[in-house]
Amino acid sequence: MATTSSMDLPFLKRSAKVSRENGSVVIRHLLDEVTLDGPGAQLFAKIEPRLDGTATIDSIAERSSEKAGRVRALLEPLSRVGVISFLSAKDDGGLMSGVDFHALHRERALYWLDPVYRHPFWERVVSGKATRAQVLGFAFEKYHYIEAAFEHMGIAAANASPEMMPHLARHFIEEYNHGDIYRRGLRSLFPDDVVLRSQPLPSTRALVNFLAESAQRSSFAYYAGNEVLQMTENTQDPTAGGAVDAFYASMRRHYPYTDKVIDSFVAHTKADQALSHDDAFLQMCKSVPPLSRREVNEALNVAKNMAEHLLLFMDGIDTFYENFPTVPRLPCDLSSE
Amino acid sequence: MIPAHETYRTKRIYDTKRLPGRTEIRLSDRVVELGDQEFAWYQKVVEWLPSVRGVAELSQDLGLGESKVPRFLEALEKTGLLYRIDPGAHTLTGLEFHAKFSSVLESWLSEAFSHPFWERMMTGKGSARLFTGWLIELYHYTKNANRHMPLSCAYGREKAIKQLRAKHYAEEWNHYHYFMKSLKALDFKEADIAASVPLPMTLALSNFMRQAAREDILAYSICSAVLEGTTTNRGAYSPYYEKSAELYGVPRAAIAPIYAHLDLDVQYQHSDLFKEILETVPTLSPERAARTLDYGHQLVEHIWLWTDNIEKYYEADTSPVPRLPFDALLD
Repeated sequence: MATTSSMDLPFLKRSAKVSRENGSVVIRHLLDEVTLDGPGAQLFAKIEPRLDGTATIDSIAERSSEKAGRVRALLEPLSRVGVISFLSAKDDGGLMSGVDFHALHRERALYWLDPVYRHPFWERVVSGKATRAQVLGFAFEKYHYIEAAFEHMGIAAANASPEMMPHLARHFIEEYNHGDIYRRGLRSLFPDDVVLRSQPLPSTRALVNFLAESAQRSSFAYYAGNEVLQMTENTQDPTAGGAVDAFYASMRRHYPYTDKVIDSFVAHTKADQALSHDDAFLQMCKSVPPLSRREVNEALNVAKNMAEHLLLFMDGIDTFYENFPTVPRLPCDLSSE
Repeated sequence: MIPAHETYRTKRIYDTKRLPGRTEIRLSDRVVELGDQEFAWYQKVVEWLPSVRGVAELSQDLGLGESKVPRFLEALEKTGLLYRIDPGAHTLTGLEFHAKFSSVLESWLSEAFSHPFWERMMTGKGSARLFTGWLIELYHYTKNANRHMPLSCAYGREKAIKQLRAKHYAEEWNHYHYFMKSLKALDFKEADIAASVPLPMTLALSNFMRQAAREDILAYSICSAVLEGTTTNRGAYSPYYEKSAELYGVPRAAIAPIYAHLDLDVQYQHSDLFKEILETVPTLSPERAARTLDYGHQLVEHIWLWTDNIEKYYEADTSPVPRLPFDALLD
């Protein structure tokens, strides 16, 4: 249960969107929605401008000509659903356990990944409207991103903190050859030399470079970002797994030439599932010392950025291959330009 | 006989214009015109060349006898649409490489700025919000020069080039202040802009430059040269700013610092730096030359996708401007 002291400073979270509908106040936060009606809505409207983390409940109540108990009774439940934070007048530097961080990361990552799952590219493929370049481009970009385990997982293992080293070493060793699974699929359409020489889109390169840069700075933050990717790859959840299977079935139907490529996608998913990576991040979180606010924010910023890079990865495939339909993308030589 | 797959590759196309009965294809040095039938065949060749499919399958796709396929490929080579792979490619001097770069730079820049965003902004279909977004991302891009310019010096091996790169850095490191001035003229608070975070593709540009800096100082320098190529003179950049001021009510005070920055670049003659660097390079192996050229073209593609990312983010009214970093307590 949330408890507040007389020194706590209520703060309406920046991510909360407040709107008014027929006398009610609707507050949207992440994927949730809170509706206040009648007196609750009126009280919220009155105190909202003061929920900026600079005034105590007593002071807000006094300046709004309200009773402190009434204001507290409104704000504490809003705090429990995550709409209000209570900043401390003394110190916001309290530590967070790894397990609590894991729960917070999961909640936020699911929200940040929502636009990735809703990207129009998926529908374009399922409805058969994607072009040959987009479909084959998707396969190549997936290959490049998985093949890049050599880069970011290698850098992560080489720069690991003592607590994270066994996890990151194991992760690299288990995954470095997964790119070859995709490569086998692409070899049904293109010579091996072409697959190996092919070049990722800038947006895929962006994803890989972001992971590699994060891996050099902080082992834990890197993995918090990598976990966002893992959440999109592991499909042991039956609902998500069913959606992925349906997507592949549509691909086979509309683009029969991708049959062997899709076999490789499925083989990779199975290989990932066999590694039981589902709880790898939880194990890491359990092994790290409690995290400062700065460490929590660093790791969550990497995770948020990772979700944004995934959206960019999707945009790249969808938009770039639509405008520049050359696939595979081969590097320049002295005569190509 | 060497299979066609191993003989030919396709030249890069910078624009394709479909007209009644024919198609105009723009290469870096010429425009090739093909009839509808030839263009359809050419497209099949482009798909077939890097594939595992045999000549028999191409012949079937083209509806041409197998014996006629080589003649068609030779005809495409003569137009310039295909070129023969040169296994005996020779080394180049630095200045020969610079000439090669200069011959394609204009085509590369036309590709980099072919994103519809520019047409939209110049024809009044853009917005002040999009202009601001571009400016904020330019601020971040310019500030992020501090993430890659010194790295190119750190990883460089040739003293003369390191020296030139360091001088460039000394002249550029704090130029983000110009964009801060512009943003303040648009009523942004300095603290909010300083605390903000770039879009993923803006960050990607500087991460790509860092990658180039670690790989090869020439790879890095060609990327820098492509970027400097956009600011060689006022004529290249002022129409966009003039139109934006006129169409979207951007105040003069927000544009003046941008001109001051670009004029300073011209004054420093930064667009000549790549030539100065290459003058110190006696020879480049064909592999190094190709890799360097490739980095330059990848930078071109980065600019296109950067523009796309800016347009998509800032055109949405719900996107926060500026973008603040996530804070577990405040968000």
